[in-house]
Amino acid sequence: MTATAERATVPGPPSGLSARARRRSELTGRDVTVSAVLAVAAFVPAAALVWLTYEMAKQAYPAIVFNGWRFFTTKTFTLGNLYGGTPIVHHGYQAAHGAQYGVLPFLFGTVVSSAIAVVVAVPLSVGGALFLADRVPARLQGALGTFLEVLAGIPSVVFGLWGVFTFGPLMSRTGFKWLAALHIPWLSGSPGAGQGLLTASLVLAVMIIPIIASTTRELFRSVPPLTKEGAVALGLTPSETARHVTIPFVRTGILAATILGLGRALGETIAVLIISGNALNIYPHSIFDPFSTMAAGIAAILDGALTDSTGMALHALGEVGLVLLLVTLLANLGGRFLTRRFSVGGLPVGRGI
Amino acid sequence: MTELPSIRVGPSRSPASGPQEDKLPSSEPSVSDPAEVEATHGPSVFRVENLFFYYGDHLALRDITLDIRPREITSLIGPSGCGKTTFIRCLNRLNDLIPGTRLEGRVEFDGESLYGPDVRAIELRRRIGMVFQKPNPFPKSIYENVALAPRMNRMKGNLDDVVEESLVRAALWDEVKDKLRASAFSLSGGQQQRLCIARAIAVRPEVILMDEPCSALDPVATFRIEELMEDLKNDYTIVIVTHNMQQAARVSDRTAFFTVDTSQGGRTGVMVEIGATSKIFTAPSDQRTEDYITGRFG
Ligand SMILES: Nc1ncnc2c1ncn2[C@@H]1O[C@H](COP(=O)(O)OP(=O)(O)OP(=O)(O)O)[C@@H](O)[C@H]1O
Ligand SMILES: [Mg+2]
Repeated sequence: MTATAERATVPGPPSGLSARARRRSELTGRDVTVSAVLAVAAFVPAAALVWLTYEMAKQAYPAIVFNGWRFFTTKTFTLGNLYGGTPIVHHGYQAAHGAQYGVLPFLFGTVVSSAIAVVVAVPLSVGGALFLADRVPARLQGALGTFLEVLAGIPSVVFGLWGVFTFGPLMSRTGFKWLAALHIPWLSGSPGAGQGLLTASLVLAVMIIPIIASTTRELFRSVPPLTKEGAVALGLTPSETARHVTIPFVRTGILAATILGLGRALGETIAVLIISGNALNIYPHSIFDPFSTMAAGIAAILDGALTDSTGMALHALGEVGLVLLLVTLLANLGGRFLTRRFSVGGLPVGRGI
Repeated sequence: MTELPSIRVGPSRSPASGPQEDKLPSSEPSVSDPAEVEATHGPSVFRVENLFFYYGDHLALRDITLDIRPREITSLIGPSGCGKTTFIRCLNRLNDLIPGTRLEGRVEFDGESLYGPDVRAIELRRRIGMVFQKPNPFPKSIYENVALAPRMNRMKGNLDDVVEESLVRAALWDEVKDKLRASAFSLSGGQQQRLCIARAIAVRPEVILMDEPCSALDPVATFRIEELMEDLKNDYTIVIVTHNMQQAARVSDRTAFFTVDTSQGGRTGVMVEIGATSKIFTAPSDQRTEDYITGRFG
C-alpha cells in the first residue's frame, strides 16, 4: 500500500522503504501464492496442537472440577463400583461409588521409566553412532544405518512381546539378580519373572536407541572433516577427538534427538502395558516392581471406564491424557530451552574454563 | 616433549627487527653436498627421499626428494592441483586418515623414519603442528581451544600461562584477553586463524606446517600472520604452502616449486626445484619455474 503510493511519487528505486516492504516489492504473484501456501502449512501443526489440547481439556473438565488437587496427591486410581451403590457427588459432578482418581502412580511410572530409558539410551546411541560414523568403512555404514532405521520402525507391540518372552526373563536370571544382590535401596528386591519397572524402562531404551542413534549418526557425518583433522593434527587420540571436538560440535543436535526419543518413551503405551506387570495402583517400592504409566494406564482402564454410567471415569482418563500431553510439551519446551542455552546465537559454545 | 635446543643455527635475527628488513637471506650458495648443508644449518628436520604418493590408483606425487632445514621458513609454491597439500600432509601423516592412500619412499623426521613400523603417529603429531587453509577452531571457548591439547598431552606447567603465552605469540592476546570464555566462533576469520596458530604452538611443536594459512584473510590479517611467522622462525621450523608468490618471496628462506606433470599420463605432482628463495625468484634454473613465477604459466 505504502509501497505503491511512494513509488508513484518518488521515481527510481524505492530506497525509502522498509526492508520488509522492499523485499515484498520484489515478489511476483507466484511468489506470493507460494508463501501463502507455506504460511498455512507452517500453521497447521500449531493449530492442530491447540485444538488437541482444547479438546482434551474439554473432555477432562468435569474431572478437573470433581478431583481438584486430589488428582495429584491420591495414590490410587479405581473406578469404584460400576454396578451399584450410590454415586458420590462433589462440586456438582457425579462419580461411581468408591471411585478414586489419582494420577500419581501413573505420573511417577511415566517419568521414572522414561528417565531411565533416556539415561541408558543416550550414551549407547551416541557411542554407537560415533562408531558407525567414524570407524566403520563407508560401504558397511549404509547397511548398518538402514538396519537402525528398520529397527526404529518396528511396531512397539513386538518389542513388548520380546520383553515379556525373552528379555525380561533373561535379565531377571542374570543382570537383575546381580543388581539385587548389591542390596542398594530401591534397586533391591525380587526381580520375579522380570516384568516391572526396570524391564520396561530397558525395553523403552531399546526402542528409542534407533531413533536417537540414527539422528546422531547423521549429525556426526555432518561434522566437517577439517575440524576433526585439526584435532588429529594436534596429536589428540581418536577418543579425545570424539569427546572434545566431534561430540561438542553436534551437542545441540544430540539434545534434540534425545528429546525426540524422550517423547516416544513418555507416550509409549502397548510395550509398557505388556511388560509393566500391569499394576494400576501399585506405587513401586523397588525398581523391579510392577508399575504403570499414564499411557499404559489409559489403555488398560479405558474398557472399564466406558461402562461407568456417571461418565466420570472417562473424564478422569481424559485428565490423565491431558497431564501426559502437558508433560510431553514440557519436556519439549525444556529441551528447546536447553538447546537455546547451549547455542547462543546459533554458535556452539564451550563451557569455558 | 623434546626440549627446543637453545642454540640458534643459521643467520641470527633479533625478533625486534622489522619485517621489512633482512627479508631475503643473503644469497645462499647452491650447495648440493649434504654434509656441507648440515655444517651450516644443522641436521635437516625433514628429509624426504623418493616419495611417491597415491590416492587409490591415482599417483598424486612422483619422486619427491627434498630437505626441510631447521629454523627456516620453507615455502611450497606451484599451480593448483600439483600436490602441495598432499605433500605437506605427508609430513605429519595426516593422509593416514584418508582411506585408500599409499605412500612409497622415505620420509625422515628428526633423523628417524616417519613411516617406520613402530612409529606412533599420534605422538609424532604432537611434535609437528599444523595450520590449515581455513580456520578450523573447535566448538569451544577461546581458552579451551588453546588449552585442550596441552591438557590432553599432560604438559607440565600452568595451563593459564601456556594459553596466555601462545595467544601472545600468535598476536591475538590483546584482542581476546577479556573474552577468553567466549566461543571461538565469535571471532573474525583472521582472528580464528591466529587462534589456530596459537593452538598449534601451545603444544610446543618443533615444526609448524601451514597450508595456505592466509588464503581466507585480508591483507592486514595476512601481514600480521607473516610478521608472526618471522617471529616464530626463531624457535620453529616452518613449512608453508602458498599461492601468493609475493608472500613466498617475503617470508621464506627457501622455496620449492611443484608442478603438474602430464608426460607419463595422468596428472602427477612433481617437484621442479628447490633452492634459496632469492635464487628461485631471480634466477630459477628451470624454465617451468620461470614461467610460473613470471605469470606465464598456462
Ligand atoms: N582426498 C583425496 N582423494 C583423492 N584425490 C585427491 C584427494 N585430495 C587430493 N587429491 C588429488 O590429488 C591431487 C593433488 O591435490 P592437492 O590438494 O594436494 O593439490 P594442491 O597443490 O594442494 O592444490 P591447491 O593449490 O588447489 O590447494 C589433485 O589431483 C587432487 O585431485
Ligand atoms: Mg591445497
